[in-house]
Amino acid sequence: MKNDIFNFSRFGKYFVSDIRTCRSNFGLSLLTIALLFPVATYFITTTFNFVVNSVWDGPDMGLRVFVFAVAMLCMIITMPVKCYGRITEKQYGSSWLMLPASRLEKFVSMFLLTCIIVPVAGIVLYLGMDALICALDHTCGKNLIAGGMELIRGMGDLQSLTMNFVDENVTIEDAAVVQEILKQVSSPWLYVDEIFAMTLPFLLGAVFFKSGKTVKTFLALFAISTAISIAATPLMTNWAMNIFNNMNDDPMAVMELFRNGFFKHLVLIDIISDTVSNLALMAGIWFRIKTLKH
Amino acid sequence: MITIKDLGFTYGETGGLKSISLNKEKGHMLPSDRYVLKNINMKLEEGRIYGLLGENGVGKTTLLTLLCGLKKPQTGSIDIDGHDPYDREPSFLSDQYYLSDEVAAVNMKATDYAVTYGKFWEGFDLEKFMEVMSVLENDPQQKMNKMSFGQLKKTYIAFALACNTKYLFMDEPTNGLDIPSKAQFRKAVTKYTREDSVILISTHQVRDLENIIDPIIILDKQDVLLNASIAEISEKLYFDYTSERNPDALYCEMIPGGNIQVYLNQTGEDSKVNIEALFNTVHQHKEMIKGIFNR
Repeated sequence: MKNDIFNFSRFGKYFVSDIRTCRSNFGLSLLTIALLFPVATYFITTTFNFVVNSVWDGPDMGLRVFVFAVAMLCMIITMPVKCYGRITEKQYGSSWLMLPASRLEKFVSMFLLTCIIVPVAGIVLYLGMDALICALDHTCGKNLIAGGMELIRGMGDLQSLTMNFVDENVTIEDAAVVQEILKQVSSPWLYVDEIFAMTLPFLLGAVFFKSGKTVKTFLALFAISTAISIAATPLMTNWAMNIFNNMNDDPMAVMELFRNGFFKHLVLIDIISDTVSNLALMAGIWFRIKTLKH
Repeated sequence: MITIKDLGFTYGETGGLKSISLNKEKGHMLPSDRYVLKNINMKLEEGRIYGLLGENGVGKTTLLTLLCGLKKPQTGSIDIDGHDPYDREPSFLSDQYYLSDEVAAVNMKATDYAVTYGKFWEGFDLEKFMEVMSVLENDPQQKMNKMSFGQLKKTYIAFALACNTKYLFMDEPTNGLDIPSKAQFRKAVTKYTREDSVILISTHQVRDLENIIDPIIILDKQDVLLNASIAEISEKLYFDYTSERNPDALYCEMIPGGNIQVYLNQTGEDSKVNIEALFNTVHQHKEMIKGIFNR
């Protein structure tokens, strides 16, 4: 009896073919985004500085971090449509649906490619190009990898320094709470699930809408966030007002909020809410694949 | 073996699943005019190349897409060797191939496409792919998105035949092919398909496939007018190519050098079935033909 749900050998074959298809559909765009953005930023900045200020000065860390974020956003927005948007077209979609691999295998491959493989490839290529530019021209300063490592080290140092602030107003418990929050902020999962949370809506949009996929996804996200804001603002305001009114001008009450309250678990709440929304989006993608017809 | 039982399908919101389920609860079906296919019953056997004929919009493509699992039947069922096609199980998909009338121009060389995707079909034979590509005079090293529609169609035909599947569904396969390619297509289909395969070809160009399709299925709006082998047709209908006109002819058409006439075969004499004349006869005498062949 053949396994029609998930077969590792068949999945391996499918995954390789999916990577090949994705490479032909998005490979050039990925290279353009990951290599052209840092190079263009470098040339525009150095040319501008040379012409206007008469100095040879590369782009600083702040600008490069901003351009990196913009490039990654461009990649996340365009990649799902280029890699999988065609499955809603009759010609391509029929072939895709009729390919002898199970729905689960197609779904897992789609998830791995759009949420892990392509973003990692994009980040590695971008950071590699940035490191190369910084190595060739020292006026750019530290490359993004070195800057990131420094930031992580800084967070670690900050955690260890927390105990130095212990005095008659700040107890060891308070310092431990701050230390815990800093530890949570350093959690890699916080950033990994953000990548999923940014990619999955565009993947759902790519497989759900038949045309205007990116624009419709943006509009849907805008509509959903507006609806949530309208519903949540009165509740949040009420909740915040209650807290501040109960503080009775006691400065230690603020510390109490961190000690036992909502803020102590802010990062955890963020991870849980992202995970829940990611699971909902994945369920939507799965349901769309399951019911897709041509 | 493919068994189609009371198959019904409709497009559009008003005739969608919701209305059907509501009507089912009430114990009656939707008004018949909403269906593309209605109460279709058919059995397709191994070792045959079925020709699926019908006017525009009678549901030929819909039937093919239902058979391969691209659509879900709204009423009735399809059973292919114990599988429901809509489940799209890999073990079932690897034993069938659907060649759509519109094919995708992917950004790959034809050979790379065959190598990348052929491995999903257990019986795929790359040598056969190259052989059929050569029979169809198509360059396997050309990029598919740089091919003309005809060349692209030939690539997919070669791929479909190289998959060696038991079930092969082809929708208008000769559309876009030039005159020599149509002959090469007929040759390839007869030479490169399995003996036990069930091939269903839908077409408007009956002359392109005249010598290879047997049996013939003629679809009408929501109905199957005819599902019979060439032998059965020739046993029941006589195709006369003489110049003398017969007043009893069910159908008569002038052709260069005389007439082609179709009448009931009273003598049991054999004649060469002309599919175009058959199609027109069936359309002009729907109930009569159904009565004759369903006896």
